[in-house]
Amino acid sequence: MFPNHRRDIVFPIAGSVLLFGILVGAGLIYTAVQSGGAADKLITAMLIDAIMVVGLQIYIGNTGVFSFGHVGFGAIAGYTFALFAIDPVDKLTRIPNAPFGLVDVSVGAFMATVIAVLVTVAFAVVIGVGLARSGARSGAVAATVITLALLFVTHEVARGWVDVTGGDRAGLTFGIGETLPSRMPVYLVLLAAIVIARLFAQSRSGRLAKASRDDDLAARAMGVNPTVQQLAALLISVAVVAAAASLRVYEVGSILPGLFFFDYTLLTLVMLVVGGRNSVTGAMLGVGVITAGRELSRRLGSEGFEAFGIGLDEVPLDWIFREGLPRVFLGLAMIGFMIWRSDGLIADWELDNWLFRRFRSKESTPDVVALMDLDDDAAAELRAADVTVDFGGFRALNGASITASSHEIVGLIGPNGAGKTTLVNVITGMVEPTSGEVTMTGTDLTAAPSHTIARAGLVRTFQNLRLFPSLTVRENVEVPYLVAERSINRSDDKSRPSVDELVAAAGLWEYRDRRASALDYGNSRRLELARAAALQPSFLLLDEPTSGMSDTESLEMIAQVRHMAGIVGAGVLVIDHDLAFITGICDRIYCLDQGAVIAVGTPAEVQADPGVRAAYLGTNAPA
Amino acid sequence: MTELIQNVIDGLGRGSIYSLLALGIAVIFGVMHLLNFAHGELITVSGYAAYWAFSSGWSWYLVAPMVVVVSVLTSLLIERIAFSRVRGASDFTLVLTSFGIHFFVSAVFVMYVGARVKTFSEPGWVFDTISIGSINVEIFDLVVIGVTAIALLATVAILQKTMFGLALRASAADFDAARLMGINSDRVIRGAFALSGALAGIAAIFWLMRAGSTAPSSGIDPMLKGVLAALIGGLGSMRGAVIGGLSLGLAEVLLRSQLPGTAAALTDGVVFGLIALLFIFRPQGLVSVAHAERV
Repeated sequence: MFPNHRRDIVFPIAGSVLLFGILVGAGLIYTAVQSGGAADKLITAMLIDAIMVVGLQIYIGNTGVFSFGHVGFGAIAGYTFALFAIDPVDKLTRIPNAPFGLVDVSVGAFMATVIAVLVTVAFAVVIGVGLARSGARSGAVAATVITLALLFVTHEVARGWVDVTGGDRAGLTFGIGETLPSRMPVYLVLLAAIVIARLFAQSRSGRLAKASRDDDLAARAMGVNPTVQQLAALLISVAVVAAAASLRVYEVGSILPGLFFFDYTLLTLVMLVVGGRNSVTGAMLGVGVITAGRELSRRLGSEGFEAFGIGLDEVPLDWIFREGLPRVFLGLAMIGFMIWRSDGLIADWELDNWLFRRFRSKESTPDVVALMDLDDDAAAELRAADVTVDFGGFRALNGASITASSHEIVGLIGPNGAGKTTLVNVITGMVEPTSGEVTMTGTDLTAAPSHTIARAGLVRTFQNLRLFPSLTVRENVEVPYLVAERSINRSDDKSRPSVDELVAAAGLWEYRDRRASALDYGNSRRLELARAAALQPSFLLLDEPTSGMSDTESLEMIAQVRHMAGIVGAGVLVIDHDLAFITGICDRIYCLDQGAVIAVGTPAEVQADPGVRAAYLGTNAPA
Repeated sequence: MTELIQNVIDGLGRGSIYSLLALGIAVIFGVMHLLNFAHGELITVSGYAAYWAFSSGWSWYLVAPMVVVVSVLTSLLIERIAFSRVRGASDFTLVLTSFGIHFFVSAVFVMYVGARVKTFSEPGWVFDTISIGSINVEIFDLVVIGVTAIALLATVAILQKTMFGLALRASAADFDAARLMGINSDRVIRGAFALSGALAGIAAIFWLMRAGSTAPSSGIDPMLKGVLAALIGGLGSMRGAVIGGLSLGLAEVLLRSQLPGTAAALTDGVVFGLIALLFIFRPQGLVSVAHAERV
């Protein structure tokens, strides 16, 4: 569940406590300086907002799916909490006609919170399945719409179902003196929420979710099924949001439809993005900054500089110090940050990660890993038989068949448009063939989902490099490693190389903590190879691994590919234009032309084939 | 039967306004992949402009064209100040920018005009009906449907017959390719915002005639309906936006007339629920826009 005990459990918990301490400490200092009920209320509200924002961060930060709906979940939780927690006497005056005997129910605030969380999570399961059905991924519009619809459905129900919710005017209200008695529950829930958020981000689930946030297609090609991780993130985040909403209703002492609608959506989203939505530390920073800014603008708006005892009456600032300033502030903060710093103040910097890197003992470079011995019985066989693909009226592949064993390195060449990449896309499940089948050692993989194919032992790289840009080099390799750990049972995995060994074998040890987006081109290619190898595949499918490389680099790549394939015991199927590379590395070569195989054999045989020469040089070239 | 026909006409009238809003949203989505949550603010700004004009004694015949002009200028201004700075940013950034603008504009009105609702009088004929046989039809609905039809035809003419329309459609199909073909992206995007503003301005006239008032939060409702209609139709598809708007209007009116007493108050909730279901089973909307990613 957690790849590294110290990095993923000990430090995140310690960091969470520290983060909690800083936020609460800042609040306590403020209330000490600004004594009075208003300051107390402000800080309580801030801490509750913080829980809400942590809840949002768990989903939006880890999955990249933009949700308007979390405040809608808040509304569901808020009303559930109010219905179960408010004294029957007080309910009788507002909602005497409530069905299901709701008027007489009263279970106390704690139990009501538990019920609210359970009910809301049940709703989240339904919504989550719907989101998965719609193909939610980072930047997907459908997901945003579904969550937006949720927000409006809850709002409309809250306004329209007057018998239960009290509607727009009455609402539900606690009796006098029956609201949140002390701040202790807020502290406990906030601490728990931060710890949960950090642990989730470091867990297997969180790491896989972040991989598909960064690049959905590449994550699937590494065997990640993003829907599972997204559902996990959704349920955890909704549970946190529901607890926050219950506390908010309890603290305010009443609930109306407007309590969890657009205004609160804006407030919590601004808090989330100002600090950095991809980091819990950033979310907390945003809560602090926005609470301070909003309070400052509120006081300036109502009293001007006199709020701070500065007499600047002669300066004409009436036009800016007015009622409504806090909303202008929130709107401007949102627009400004989106324009100038859309990743937030600290982007994805995380306090405990930083502490871990500072305080870990020195790491030594892992030893070189031995090549894996393969006995012949364990060889896997990849077979694509009679594959035809039509794109509209264009036949990209016309009955192409190839086979490869995991003991060999097989090349696929052919002029531009011959159908090489299409064939790899068919084999890896990204293009559905019009006819034909793909099998591996007898298992049918034709048109199976990409992640199933990857887990079956076929992993690909991409022509146009698709790393997980915001993850570090090591984290990039960790993603398929975590998938392999659970999903792949190969008989020969006793000696499988560790993440660190793979990083070192790719020659990237010194860059291990660097973001993938900061690597140069050659190193990015090497990382993509190491990442593919980490899935422990039977076959590596390399789509133009040397494109954009110099001659020397591509010759070095021969050794790289051989070594990587060797230490995980995988066969290789490689497409490339670079003939020196292909003939230098391959045991056998298939040549495709116009969607069909026109020659197969050793590099020398294929090079001598007249049909191949004709395909490359034109039909009239002398044989 | 009579009632059904009346409802259908009522629904088409409503849906026409949604179509105009949705089309404006679809045009912008096409050129810059922006789901514009600030679109409703054009109605808010238009509403205050109309209020100011009525206070100065203008009649509806002068206010109507003025509203369209104000809407176009506001649309261009918002593009200039905010959206031009986030071109090509992630979807996340774009959506939140428009969301921020939505709040900023309404907050500015709270600050300088006040949170209270400002009312003005609708033109006298808005609630008049005429009878065709046994069917009573609101004149307003007929006017809305007629004007919308003209506006849509004009839009089609612009898109099909002018160089700008060609550039806009090309950019919507593939923005980068269009740029490489020498299309001036600045001009296309500004043109898209102007067109979107004009369509919103026409919608604003009818919206304000019906509402007879404006408030800082007036933009939420039209924004929502427009966004949802555009989404129902399949974002980026202009034909889809019109279909989506009409479907939304019809669905609302028919549901309201069919749902039993208390549930009728929940019409909007039911409509939103149906939309969520639509997206779960058909994430690309009614009219899908093909798009492929090379791997």
